[in-house]
This record gives sequence, structure tokens and C-alpha cells, in this order.
Amino acid sequence: MTLFSICWHNMLASVRGEMQYRASFIMSLIFGFLFQTVGFIFVAVILTRFEAVGGWGLWEVGVLYGIRLTAHGLWVVSVNQLFRFDQIVQEGEWDRFLIRPVPIWAQLMFTQFRIPPLGDLISGLFLLGIALPRVSIDWNAGLVVFLALAIIGGALIDGAFQLGSAAFAFRFLMTLPLRIVFDDLQGRFGSYPASIYDRPLRAFMTWIVPMAFMAWVPATVLLGRTAELPFPEWVAWASPMVGFALISGAVWLFVSQSRHYQSAGH
Amino acid sequence: MPMITATDLVKDFTRTRPVEGRFSTVRTLFTRQQETVRAVDGVTLSVDEGEIVGYLGPNGAGKSTTIKMLTGILVPTSGTVEVAGMVPWLNREANAMNIGVVFGQRTQLWWALPLEESLRLIGRMYRMPEDGYRKQLAMLTELLDMGPFLKTPVRQLSLGQRMRGDLAAAVIYQPPILFLDEPTVGLDVVAKERIRTFIEEINAERNTTVLLTTHDLDDVERLCRRIIIIDQGRVLFDGEAADLKRRYAPTRLVDVTVSGDGIDALAQAVRDLPVGVEVTSHDGMKASFEVAPERVAVSEVIAAISAQAPIVDISVSEREMDGIIREIYEAREVTR
Repeated sequence: MTLFSICWHNMLASVRGEMQYRASFIMSLIFGFLFQTVGFIFVAVILTRFEAVGGWGLWEVGVLYGIRLTAHGLWVVSVNQLFRFDQIVQEGEWDRFLIRPVPIWAQLMFTQFRIPPLGDLISGLFLLGIALPRVSIDWNAGLVVFLALAIIGGALIDGAFQLGSAAFAFRFLMTLPLRIVFDDLQGRFGSYPASIYDRPLRAFMTWIVPMAFMAWVPATVLLGRTAELPFPEWVAWASPMVGFALISGAVWLFVSQSRHYQSAGH
Repeated sequence: MPMITATDLVKDFTRTRPVEGRFSTVRTLFTRQQETVRAVDGVTLSVDEGEIVGYLGPNGAGKSTTIKMLTGILVPTSGTVEVAGMVPWLNREANAMNIGVVFGQRTQLWWALPLEESLRLIGRMYRMPEDGYRKQLAMLTELLDMGPFLKTPVRQLSLGQRMRGDLAAAVIYQPPILFLDEPTVGLDVVAKERIRTFIEEINAERNTTVLLTTHDLDDVERLCRRIIIIDQGRVLFDGEAADLKRRYAPTRLVDVTVSGDGIDALAQAVRDLPVGVEVTSHDGMKASFEVAPERVAVSEVIAAISAQAPIVDISVSEREMDGIIREIYEAREVTR
């Protein structure tokens, strides 16, 4: 509770800090809105131009797209300090994280307020809101819990890659390009059913960079399409676990790499 | 009771060795050659509760690196550290509750926010109760004269004001240990004095243990009974500042000027000086002596001269800390 209040007040402080530069705050609001509008238009174009993608109906793809965008938004809203992590480490700003009596994860989460990530989350929820009622799903309590867990799990898959690659910043590597590549990959390929891809690409998305588990696999469960998965149905039900497993690995990597932090100016 | 102990502390930094010659930039990218720089090389030290210790050394000596290991920012390559009974990098959060840190070169405050808000956020992070926070804020506002700029965003503060803000941020939650890394760097004389007085008061009132790095020896003269000098990552000296002075400046310098008709008398006095006095210069009306106080009292020397020659001006001085430290830095060792 105390920890929550610390995070919350740090977040508020960051909003007030942003608002000190009023013009830039308003500009980022406007651009954040424009950015998402363009995203929406793109989705709309895709969904209306193609009747079905790989046998998936328009709104079924909408559900999948919505799960991915919501999961992605959930992570970037919560942990957006990682966006400029290379700079934090290289310029020795990490010192400040280390001398505060607050867990590192809590300092990385909810301490910065940025508008574009908020846009991702809102658009994702919006898309889910309009797509879910337009597909036939036999809703029950289990399925609702599954959807929630799937979104959290998806956020953790996204996060595992962001955190895992950020860990190498402690070795003075530029990790932002790596993170942008993953962002781009999941944005471009992760938003459609993986069944439409060739076998090598699908295998890559499932087993190497398991972004298929962010949206495709959970969506097949919701939509009763598990038959098209290359593994048994129970694996699909367990898909949220993938995120939890990956994030544990990423946290371990991050913690072990953080021992190599060299600060700045000796 | 020791509050801070370090034993055989070592910190190595590695970096890729730059390749020279053709296409050096591209080749540097692919080289596996690493070079290791040892910033701290076997430092052993111990600071007792309530002590103010000056941690001195030339630029690049390893002062900040040591402080960063004591504060839990850096993990030592080898050796052990304990601060209030805890290993800083292993018990990072618990250690953070115990220590206050000021890095003179970089602020810990929220750049865009008014100073008061930074202090409030810090009070909350250190779980201060509301009334305790208010009491401390009021006390520090008065001690550091922060009233006029408490509501000013940190980015608009002058260096002196910002440093006072940083000090307030480091002590508001009343940590038993303070690490001050160049707290007076770049400040004017008045601002420096204010900060020294503040450190002195906090130490006296709360028995706070202070480890202070500085390049300003007035800070040391004023605050530190004990100093530790390091260079190239090794401890050169650890002991009382007065002891260092005794070692380096055992003698007093006496300069005498006599009136015009006293030239011959002065020459006579110079010949008749008591044992333990050495003439460093003698030219007409002026003469300078080095007196070894353990062999002859300075007053005795002055009496002997004034008995023979009409003194018009006299000065007695001891060597300044500045000169001693300069000599140590240049020689890279301390004479025994």
C-alpha cells in the first residue's frame, strides 16, 4: 500500500513535471491522438479491404489485433521508463534508482507519464470493445478470466523482450534498436493469425520469438479455432503462462546484468 | 563502533580497447580486446559513528568509485564493504534507508518540479510520517535558508541554492550516515561556508557519520579531524589531519623586519640565534627563520631577536594544508 502510494505520487509528479512545459505537453497530446487515429484508419482499411484473412473473419482478426494492442499498451503504459533506458544507464542516472529505498521494479513502473503509450492501450481496448460483440463467443466466467490473463501474459511477453534487451544496456550496448525491431515485428506480424504465414515464419513466431502467444494463440481459444494450432488445445489454454515464464527469465537477466553497471564519472 | 568498514576493496572497470590505424572505428566495433582499469586497488578503511572523515585525493584517484561502492551503486570486483552492518549492494533498499547521498556534480532532485515537491516525494519514499516530515522541513528551511526558493522549480535554482536543496534532500529523513561527494564544488565563499556550518550542525546534533570528498581543503580544515588520502586507488594516508601537518610542517616560519638603523643589530642577532632555529633568508632589514617548536619555543626566538634588534614587523606562520596536499599528490606518497 505504501509502495503503491509512492509510485502513484511519483507518477503524479511526473505529470506535473511534464505540464511545466505546457506547450510541449499539449503538442504531445495532439500528436498522441493523431498517431492513434492513423493507426485506427490503417486497421479499418485492412479489415474492410480483406473479407477474411486465412479463414478468419473481419472481426475475428479485430479481436486478435485488439488483444495484441491492449497487451502491448498495458506493458508500455506500466513500464515506459525503459524507452530511454540506454540514456539512463549511459549518463549514470541509474545511480539515482539505486540509492532509493524503493524496489527497482516499482521505480521503473508508473513513474513516468508519456502520452503515446496511453494511446496504444486506449486504442487496444477500443478495438476489443467493438470487435468482441461482433464475433460468436460462448462466454463463461472461465473465458473472461482467460482473456484477462491472456492480455496480462501478452503484456509480459512484450515486456520480457523489452526488459531482456534493456539488460544489455549495462554492458554499454545500444539496446533501443533491438527493442524497436521487436516492437516492429510484433506490430507487423503479430496482429494477424499466424496460420497465414509459411511454416518457417510461423515456427519462428511460435518457438523463437514467441509473439504468437501474445494474441494468436489466445484468440484461437476465444474463437474456438484451436484446431489450427500446431499443438494440443491444453497448451493454448496455458498460453498466459508463457508470458510469466519469459518475464522471470528477463528479470533474472536484467538483475544479473545490472551487476555490471559502471555508473558515469569515476 | 565502526559505521563504515571496507576491506581490500577493489573495483575494475573494463572497456573495449580502441583499435588504431585504418578503419579504426569499424575495427573497434569487432575487436574483442578489452582493457581493464583498476579504479580502486585494495582500499581498507573504517569510519566510526559520529566521525567526519575527509576522503581526499587528486582527480581520478578513486574517491567517487569508493563512495559508489559504499552507497550500493557499484558492486565491488573484490573485497568487502559493510555500512551499518549491511552489505550495500546486497541489501540495497535497507542500506538506502540508512544513508544520505549528495553528488555535488549531479542533482538528485526532480528537475522540473519545485524544490518542496522533490523533498515531499523523498519524504514519502523514506516512509516519513506527515508531522515528522513537516518538522524536518521547517527545521531545514531555516537552517539552510531555503524559504525564498522552496517553491521554485529546481532547474531555475542557482548552484548554491540547488546544493542546499540536495543537502536537505539527503538529510530530511535523518539517515545516520551521510556520503557527501564534493558538496561545495563550484560554490562561492559564502555558500561554501553555509554548507560547512550545516554539515557541522547536523553532525553535532544527530551524531551523523559523514564521509566527505572534496578538493577544497578549507572544508577539511573546518570539518574533518581525520582524513584519508588515496591516489591511484590506494590509501596513502589515514589519520588525524593534525598529525599530517605535524609530519609535513613541523616548523614555524618567522619573518622579521627591523628598522633602518637595526641592520647591523639584526646581523648580530642572526649569528647569536638559539639552537633549533635555521635562517632561510637574510637580507638587510629582513630575515626569515624556520623554528622547530619541539627544540625551542617560538616566543624564545622572538625574545632573543627583539633583545638585540628593533623589530618593526613580525609574522609567525605554519605551512598551509594546501601546500602539504600538493606535495603529497605530486610525490604520490606520504613520508613517514
